[in-house]
This record gives sequence, C-alpha cells and structure tokens, in this order.
Amino acid sequence: MSDRAVERWVAGCFLAAAACAVGFVVGYVVDSGPQVTGGLLGAACALVALGLLLWSARLLPDGTFVEEREPPAPTEADQDAVTEALGRGAVSRTGLLRRTFLLAGVSLAAAVVVPLRSLLSPGSTHPDRALSETDWRRGRRMQTREGDLVRAGDLQIGDTLTVFPEGFPEADDSATVLVRVDPRELRRPTARGAAGAVDGILAFSKLCTHAGCPVGLYEQESRQLLCPCHQSVFDVLDKAQPVAGPAGRALPQLPLAVDHQGYLVADGEFQGQVGPTYWRHA
Amino acid sequence: MSRHPRPRLGRLALLLVLGVVAAVTVAGRPATAQPGTDPARIDRGRTLYQASCASCHGQAGEGSQRGPTLIGVGAASVDFYLQTGRMPLATEQQQARRGPQKFSQPDIEALIGYVAGFGGDGPGIPAVHAGDLGQGRELYLQNCASCHSSSGTGYAQVGGEIAPSILQSDAKQVAEAVRVGPALMPEFSDGVLDQRQLDAVVTYVGELQRLPDRGGASLGRIGPVSETVVGFLGLALLVVVVRLVGRRTS
Amino acid sequence: MITRWVVRRLDDRLGVSPALRTGMNRVFPDHWSFLLGEVATYAFVYLLLSGTFLTFFFDPSTVKTVYEGGYRPLHGAEVSAAYASTVQLSWDVRFGLVVRQSHHWAALLFAGAVVVHLARVFFTGAFRRPRGVNWAVGVTLLLFTVVAGFTGYSLPDDLLSAMGLHVANSVLLSIPVIGTWLAFLVFGGEFPGAAISQRMYIAHVLLVPGLMAALIVLHGWLVVRRRHGQFPGLGRTETNVVGPRLWPARAVRSLGILFAVIALCLLLGGLVQINPVWLWGPYEPGAALGPAQPDWYLGWVDGALRLYPGWEPILFGYRLPNMFVPSVLLPGGTFLALYLWPVLERLWTHDRRPHHLLDRPRDHPVRTGIGVMALTFYALLLTSWSLDVISRYTGIPVFTLVGVFRVGVLTVPLLTGAIALVLARGLRDSGADRLSEMSWSGLRAGWRRRREEDTEVPTEPAPVADLEQPPAMPEDLEPVRVEPGPVP
Repeated sequence: MSDRAVERWVAGCFLAAAACAVGFVVGYVVDSGPQVTGGLLGAACALVALGLLLWSARLLPDGTFVEEREPPAPTEADQDAVTEALGRGAVSRTGLLRRTFLLAGVSLAAAVVVPLRSLLSPGSTHPDRALSETDWRRGRRMQTREGDLVRAGDLQIGDTLTVFPEGFPEADDSATVLVRVDPRELRRPTARGAAGAVDGILAFSKLCTHAGCPVGLYEQESRQLLCPCHQSVFDVLDKAQPVAGPAGRALPQLPLAVDHQGYLVADGEFQGQVGPTYWRHA
Repeated sequence: MSRHPRPRLGRLALLLVLGVVAAVTVAGRPATAQPGTDPARIDRGRTLYQASCASCHGQAGEGSQRGPTLIGVGAASVDFYLQTGRMPLATEQQQARRGPQKFSQPDIEALIGYVAGFGGDGPGIPAVHAGDLGQGRELYLQNCASCHSSSGTGYAQVGGEIAPSILQSDAKQVAEAVRVGPALMPEFSDGVLDQRQLDAVVTYVGELQRLPDRGGASLGRIGPVSETVVGFLGLALLVVVVRLVGRRTS
Repeated sequence: MITRWVVRRLDDRLGVSPALRTGMNRVFPDHWSFLLGEVATYAFVYLLLSGTFLTFFFDPSTVKTVYEGGYRPLHGAEVSAAYASTVQLSWDVRFGLVVRQSHHWAALLFAGAVVVHLARVFFTGAFRRPRGVNWAVGVTLLLFTVVAGFTGYSLPDDLLSAMGLHVANSVLLSIPVIGTWLAFLVFGGEFPGAAISQRMYIAHVLLVPGLMAALIVLHGWLVVRRRHGQFPGLGRTETNVVGPRLWPARAVRSLGILFAVIALCLLLGGLVQINPVWLWGPYEPGAALGPAQPDWYLGWVDGALRLYPGWEPILFGYRLPNMFVPSVLLPGGTFLALYLWPVLERLWTHDRRPHHLLDRPRDHPVRTGIGVMALTFYALLLTSWSLDVISRYTGIPVFTLVGVFRVGVLTVPLLTGAIALVLARGLRDSGADRLSEMSWSGLRAGWRRRREEDTEVPTEPAPVADLEQPPAMPEDLEPVRVEPGPVP
C-alpha cells in the first residue's frame, strides 16, 4: 500500500476516534448506560491505538543500528578507589565504634517491631481464648438472623435453618446450622450424635473446619452438608464427620434441649474446636 | 308488624352470618387447594396415573425400587413435578431435570386429585402474593444462595446432582419447591419460612429473573470462573497485537 | 520552527538537550516478546488512573448505613458503607460502573501480562548475570500484584469476597506456632475483626501501589542501565546492541500499545459484566454462596486447597492444620523457588559469565523442560479451582473430577516437561528452524543424547570466541556504527 493510502487510513482512524469521543460525551449526557459509554470510549481508544500502530509501522523511518553496550564492569582502579574512599575516616582498628553502632541499630530495629502488637484492636481478647470461645451458653435460646426464636415444632423432617445465639446475630463464629432428620435414623447403630438431638433436630457449627466458610448446602436425601468453598462433605448422621473433601475434622455439634416454654436452647457449648484448625494441642 | 318478618329477618341474619364466616374462612385460609372430588376428574386421573406413573410409583402410590412413595407427598409436590416437566420420567435418572410440561393443566389437576386420594397430608399448593423485596433479598441470601448461587444460576452438589437454576421458574413453582423440598433440596416449612417470608423470597426470585445485567454480557452470572476465561481471551488478544506489531527473529 | 523554539526554551531552563539526544537515538534490541513487559506496565498505568477515580466514591468503612439508590432490591437496606458505596457507584454514578469494571478487568489483564512476561524472561534466560537483581525485583512485583488484586476485590465487603477473606484468615491461622497471633494482628481480632477493611484499603490504595510504582521504575531503570538482552543473530555480540532507535517509530508504537491496552480495559469494562456485587449480596455472618472462587491469580492456591486430601497429622503433640501445606508451604515454596532460580541455575551450569545474548528455549533444554513442567503444574492447579463449576455444567460428579485432578497434577507435569525437554533437544541438535520442520530422526537424536549428557557436568559453556567478532555484514544492511555519546 502506498504511503498516501496508509496516511489516509491513519487519518481515518483518528477521525473515527474523535467521532467516538463525541459519541461518548453524548451518551454520557443522555445517560445511555455503561454499554454505550464504555463501548464508545473504548472504541475511541482502540482507533487511536490502531492509528498510532499503523503510523509507526508504515510511515515512520526505521532502521537497524549498532551501538556498544556501556562498559560492562567498572575497572579495578575504580573499585580500588571506592574501597579506599569507604575506608576513609576509620578511627580505631578494634572496630569498637562499628560494633557498638551495629548493636544500637539492631536493638532499635527489634524495638520498633514490638509496637506491631498494637495491631490487635483494643478490647480484643487473647487469640487462644477468643478462638476457643463462642457466644453459646447452656440454656441460651436460638434466633434466626431476622430475630425469630425457634421452637422444636417449627422444623419438619428435611428442614434446615441457620441460627445464632439469642442476642448475638452478628457473631460469625457462633453461626449454627439446624437440620431435622427422622429420629429413627439416629437410633441406627452407625449413627452418632443422638445424645445432643431433640426430636431428630441436630445442631452443628456452620463454620467449616477446613477454611472457615459457612457450610451452607444441606442435601436432604443423603443427609450431608456440603461446603461450597472447597467441597468438604459432612455426614449429618455421623456427628458431621467429614466423608469427602479436604476437611480433617468433624463440625462440632451443639447439644440441644427444650426450655419450659418450648423454645430450642443450647444445652452446653460446641463439642470441639469451632472453625478452621489452628496450631494447638491435639 | 306481622309475625312473619321476624323469622324472615332471623333467617336473613343467619344467612348473613354464615356468609361472612364463609368469606372470612375462604379469604383468610393460607390456601391449600381443594382436591377435585368430581368423579370424572378422578377417572381421568386414574387413567393418566396407570399409564404414566404406576410403573415406578406403584399401583396405589406405595412406591417401588424405581420410584419413591407418593402417599402424603401433597398437592404442591405433584403440581411442581408435573408443571416443570420433571415427571413423568422416560428413563431412570439420578435427578430429574426441568423439561417441557408433558400434561395439560386440566390433566395435572386430575392427577393431583387422584394422588391426594392415596392419603396422607403433604403441603398443599401455596398461594403467593407480592412480598417485601428487601426482606426477600436477605432471606434468599441466608437460605438459598449457598445452593442456588446468589445469581440464581444453580450450583453443583455432591454426587453429580445439581441445585438447578431458578431463573426459569414462575412464582408458584418457586413457592412449591420451597415448601416441598424436591429431590435433594431441603424443605422450608411454614415454621421456618412463614407465608410473609415465602412471599418475600418469591418476589425476590422474580426480581432476579427480571434484573437486567447492567454491566454488560453476564457470562452466565457464574462469577470469577467465567470472568477468567474472558480475561485470558483478552490477554491472548493483546499478545496477538504485540506479535503483529513487533519484530520477529530472522 | 515551533519545535526548535520549544527545544530552545526547554534547554534554557532545564538543559535537557544532551540527554534527549542520547535518549532519542538510543539503540535497543527489538523483538515482539520484549513488548510483554510494556503491556503489563500500561495495564498498571490504567489501574492507577481508574483506581484514582474510584477512590473519589468508595467509602471503605464497615459502619452500617442505609442504601438509598437505584438498585431496588437493596433500597432501604442497612449495609456497610463499603458495600453501599460500591453498589451506588455501580448503579447511581454515571460511568461509575464502567470505571469499576474496567479497573477489575485491568487487574486480571495485568496479572496475566506479568506472568506471560515472567515466562518469556525465564525461557530466554534473561535472568542470568547481570540481571539477577532485576529478576528479584520482578518476582517481588508479581507478589505485590497478587496482594493488590486480593485486597482490591475484598474491599466492597460483599459475600463472595468475604468468603475469600475467611479463607485468608484461616490460612494465617494454619501457620504453626505464630499463626493465631499473626491472624489476630492482621485482622485486629477474631474474624471479621473491626480493622481489616481499613487496613486493606490503605494497603490497596497507598502502600502496595506506591511500592509497585517504585519497583517498576527500578525495574525499568535496570533494563535501561544494562540494556535489554537480545537474541543471537547477524551482527549481534555479547558487547553490542543491535536494533532500531527509540525515536520516532518505536516511541509512537509504544504509545499505540498504551492505547490498545486502555481500549481493551474500557471495552471489557463497558461490555462484559464482572464482579456484580449487588447480586452477591453484602457480607453477613452465616451466609454463603456457591460457587465461591478467588480471582484467577490466587486460583492455583484455591485449587491446591480443593485437591489436598483431609490429612491433619499430629506433630509433636500438636495438630498440624490441613491448610498449611497447600496454602502456606506451596505458595511459599513457589516464590522461594522463583527468587532462587538464578542462583540454582548458576550452581547447576557453573556458568558465572555475564550474558547479554538470550537463549532460545531450545538452547537450554533442561530449563525449558522444568519451565514447562512448572507451568503445567500451576495450570492444572488453576483448573482445579473451577471443578465445582465444571461439575455443574457437565454433570460429572465433582469428586470424580477431584480424583482425576489429584492424579493428574502429580503426573501430567512430568509428562509435559519430559516432552518439552525431548523436543527442545531435538530442535537444538537437528538444527531445524521450527518444530514443523523437524524430522523423526531429529527427535530421536534428542532422546538419545540424554544418556550421554547426563554423565557430563558442563564446566564451561560452548566456546564464544567467534561471537566476539561480528561476522561480515551483507552490503544491503548498511548499519551505522554508533559510539555511545553525542550522535554525529
């Protein structure tokens, strides 16, 4: 293609880009939405790009040249001079000043690291205590996030519900999943967890023991809880023991009871460590 | 005054009271559909059942190796499975999938009536009204999003089964699924989600279906996986551009 | 006329003419694969521009506020200010969604360009002396890219990124001995803590971009100082640079590439939806959604978490958390290997000489084989990150896929690495120009060579005496020999 033709193409690109830019402004003013505005501005930039690339490829002078690389390494003379200059002002040969300065520097550096401890927000409990405690207490009732209290009769067989300790709907580590199974299934020899159940209603910590995601999926037919993050599967009839996936521990069970008004209450705390495993005594 | 108006007045009053009671009962009831008692309908239901359902679900709905029992499943379940074309199943499948509706509406009602005759009392067809959109959004995220995904496109379950997309279901089907808990889905009975909450969830699902994808092509609303595929395509495009404008080794 | 007037005035004030003269005439090696770093840099520039716009609207606080805007399902709801401001930016601010989406697309493209650029540098041996420091700077930039991306998409406090934050918290918790303290210090307490949002914000808009900008400048300066490496060819030696001059063609081309990258970001940002946080919903305790994945540059860690079996051995009476190996040891080992690679290769080849001539992948078959093996490994881990989505759309049970990938991730990389090694050797020894021209005998030559080479420990690379003198040039090339300094 002749130079003149390429020039016309490049000019055409820039003109079209200008038109798109105007279109973009119009689109913005009439609020035509993200597709029109984004599309037009993007098209404008693309046309400018095309014009520039064509221009550089076809119209601008090019060539192959040779140049020497900068001297690869400083000469020995330079290195000697630098070493000698660095040694200027060396006062004592015992290195007393150097060593004490180093000591001061290291101590200061170590000291400065210590205030990182303040990153722990004031009012926050010690990690080991915070991780081993939740807001469940014996006799505490359970509520949904909306605030409704739960009675045993509210759940049919096959129902599932997420609950929190009454008064603590924001407590992430206390999130609990209730499922109701047929009580006869819990009486089978292979089943476990019947001791903490009420009328076939079981309660487990909702936090996956693998990486802490809420285990939200309850499969009614197989009585399994599936975690969406890394596909850990827990068997509800076997005290939420992991049967597949990367979790290494069962979901801790929350024993249940019924209070005198008929509401479901916790009959103790979670039986086991809640949430993902951390480094602690086995 | 003669003596007649008084008894007439009394009868009128009685009729009025009965009428009010009837109206209140009909209006206030959370609406479980009455199974048809029309004998012609029952006959139609029997014919259809023998032809399409009995081979797997048993002559009297008792179930068999190939199909679960239908005793006490409730009108909502029958309506849901038939309306969404999941039943009747042509071949045995792990999990019935949505398909074209195979029976006409009157036939479905006939089958509902016939299956109700097997006994038991499962959830009736729920009524749906307009609900609180904001409350529905919250309830959906708390209860449904983990299986059906926040965008309603569905998600995989353990054994190759899925929680299907809810973007094609109408309001009644959503309500029925919530109450019935078909297949591996848990159910959400009245004690867990009352009528007001059910209305809210159904309203939100409808909104999800209507919601335009403001950002552009939705990529199935799946999330980072589909976005990455497009991102890699974009990167490949840039590499192609760079290859075109750059020099090659001679 | 006008140009001369401008140059005169600039020179009077700044005295830049000598520097400009050298700079504009600077010769540099030119190959299309050398442009990948530029693509990454321009994506970073766009991230800075679009990110600045976003900071004018985004409120990082987790304090509850009532959203009142155009997105109906959220209208009137009490959500965190971070979430509300993001939804507002997406639905109520004109052009806001385009900028937000193009920012996220630019992040994905940036990470991808960095990885492709790293692969180019690796396979051509451009990390060898004297460029080892620059390699370390580049690997650090990769690390910061991942950190910037993660903190960025976790800012809106939506449910999807909150689940990722849960996982990040668990990763910290899983570190032996110091893990619990580390997690609590970073988050300011137990998850979610009150402080993580503002700390991520400061990291994402100030600390990380600032450090990255400084490192990119350093990265570029080191390239300019040592001059870019070049492929061997006609007239090219270890001591010269052969190629075009910077001005005007290459500078204009570079500007074109900048606009091309920005154009792609804007087009994707306007036309393809990404991260619709209004659908994911705000973070709420106890809520979850499926599928849940991080962005792709963390996908290899997430994939490892899905594939690694549920082992939690007892060590010294303590329980070793399951997540430690796939999410701490694996990424830590990866970056350690990346940092140490130039040192390791020097120990293996005993080659301490500076190299300015690049390798073609075939010139160093072992390195090529290892590189292909590594890429396959991480690509398979990345694919594992999407197994639940694959299961959803193919009907294959997810644990069948997990089983296949568990085996595959350990065996397929060895296979592809071996194939790459044999192919590279075959190309090198048969002298074929490209793969399609190589014969079967060439391939067999590559395979057979293996036993001979294993017994040799190379003490010196191939003699380079002939590379010191440039071979005779054909007349039609007519290069101009230029000394460093003022151009005649």
